[in-house]
Amino acid sequence: MLVKTTSMAATLAKSGRLGMVGILLSIFVAGSVQARTLETAFGDVDVEGTPERVVTLYEGALDAAVAAGVNPLGAVTTRGGDNVASYIEAHLGEHPPAIMGVVREINIEAVLAQQPDLILAPAQLSDEQYQLLSRIAPTVVPPTQPLAPDNWKAEARLYGEALNRQAAIAEAIEAVEQRAAEVAKAVEEAGVGGSAFLVRWMPGGPMVMSENLFSAGLLAQAGLDVQDAGLVGERGVHSDVLSLENLSQVDGDWLFLATLNEDGQAAVDAAKQSSAFTRLNVVQQDHVVPVDGQLWTSANGPLAAQAILDDIEAALLP
Amino acid sequence: MLLLLTALVAVSLVSLLIGAGSVGPGRALSLLSGAQDSEAHFIVWELRAPRTLIGIVVGMALGVAGALLQAVARNPLAEPGLLGVSAGAAFAVALALVLGASAATLRISVAQLGALVGCVCVLSVARFRGVGNDPIRLVLAGAAFSGLLASLTSLILLYDQRAADEIRFWVIGSLAGRRLDDLFAVLPSMLVASVVVALIARPLAALALGERVASGLGHHPNLIRWLVIACVALLVGAATAIAGPIAFVGLVVPFVARALAGPDIRRTLWFCLPIGPLIVLAADIISRVVVAPSELPLGVLTALCGAPVLIAVVRARRLPML
Repeated sequence: MLVKTTSMAATLAKSGRLGMVGILLSIFVAGSVQARTLETAFGDVDVEGTPERVVTLYEGALDAAVAAGVNPLGAVTTRGGDNVASYIEAHLGEHPPAIMGVVREINIEAVLAQQPDLILAPAQLSDEQYQLLSRIAPTVVPPTQPLAPDNWKAEARLYGEALNRQAAIAEAIEAVEQRAAEVAKAVEEAGVGGSAFLVRWMPGGPMVMSENLFSAGLLAQAGLDVQDAGLVGERGVHSDVLSLENLSQVDGDWLFLATLNEDGQAAVDAAKQSSAFTRLNVVQQDHVVPVDGQLWTSANGPLAAQAILDDIEAALLP
Repeated sequence: MLLLLTALVAVSLVSLLIGAGSVGPGRALSLLSGAQDSEAHFIVWELRAPRTLIGIVVGMALGVAGALLQAVARNPLAEPGLLGVSAGAAFAVALALVLGASAATLRISVAQLGALVGCVCVLSVARFRGVGNDPIRLVLAGAAFSGLLASLTSLILLYDQRAADEIRFWVIGSLAGRRLDDLFAVLPSMLVASVVVALIARPLAALALGERVASGLGHHPNLIRWLVIACVALLVGAATAIAGPIAFVGLVVPFVARALAGPDIRRTLWFCLPIGPLIVLAADIISRVVVAPSELPLGVLTALCGAPVLIAVVRARRLPML
């Protein structure tokens, strides 16, 4: 009797302990899924669960979020425009994000008004702005600093992790890689290729864009030899406006001509008024490709990559 | 005068020889002496020659306009760039660009209208409010006016990002990439202005002796003033339409001209004709080489060099009353 009681008590105690351990374990396991620690430019940032109210303050972050299936509540305008880039509007459906200002001048009050539970910010976010934004919600700033053509992948993965949609981002990046390889193969088979310059046409002449730019990286992946004639400094995004006397420096096999607005053809027309431009070999061969500057010189991310690859395909492959 | 003309020819030649590109003075010189060099030919004759011509015309227009404006405002600091007359022209062009204009001829008339409005605003400040007696206060009024126009131009820029590229071109003057067509389009209005200036030079000189003397000599002071304002508007509008606003040229040129020619406006105007192009071309040549392979806008350079001159003029003990 006594033994029985003791053993019962022991069993009870045992199962109780087991239950406790089980509960603790389940909390621990759930916790490891729910709260993630991200390595950001401003140290480790904890994000819990799957954020619903997301604000993006960078075109690459908007792109990554949309690619991962999240429609942000707020976003910044594209450079040279007063809304998000038009290539991404098609993906946004009926709920376009509210405008939070421009990337260099973020409207903190507008961000606060959205009551976000996650803020995805650009790598260039200033310390002051980070201090303000991180008081509103966990703010994810990618630790990517030097300009490099494949920065977007690491950034997109970080944003995807913050959004708790790692798989969707990995899939989107993989799709871009595959597509780029296909385009490269087709370009090689068509025997086009050669050297390429990416410039932004200004009324006084062209700005040569860096070969480290996102879109330049995709051109290179597609098989073109992207150059900047040594005119763009290590960390610069583009050169100064080149003197018309030096236009021959951008006379390669292909010239991708962008403007700040989406009307690339207007830029070509403007450039063609200059005899210094029309005498270039690349112009006479009709190898000038007008491109949307919002997409080509400002955007970033898996959706932008697909759109740029569309453009490359249309331009190089008959 | 002969010396000035020789200097102008020399600077024009240098302007053909020196640029931001790979065609240096040696190559350009051998081209001019008959060598076959298609790249140098293109750069010297199709890029440098037009901008040299345009620089000469713009320099003449701004120099003469500056001298006229200073005479009519009776103020040595009255300058089209400083007083916002150029800013008025540039603002008008910016507005027209946003509203969809792009034809060269329309741009000129719009710029001249803007310059006229700017001119009238400035001179009404100078004459009606008693500011004209104090050169510094006139400059302050001009600065305020320019600031207003600059902020309005920024407003346009914010309102219409699509026009931003073209407007940026207008905010700071430059001779790069300008075509001879633009020059031909402004020539008629400049000729009209020159004829009017020739006709009113004598009465304007009389006006410098005082209103009563001028009336006594049979002139009509108000008519003369209005004609001068119209000429300044035509000249500054034309110059701004081709090259954008170029600061301080209209201040420095008459200043040097007066120093060489003496107080008579008729002699001063003649001296402005070679001095204006000299200064504009010299500044343009420097703007090509300082940041090669890029170029600095000419307007930046004239502003950099002109500001110390303005300070020197203001600080000079004896500010000549005109």
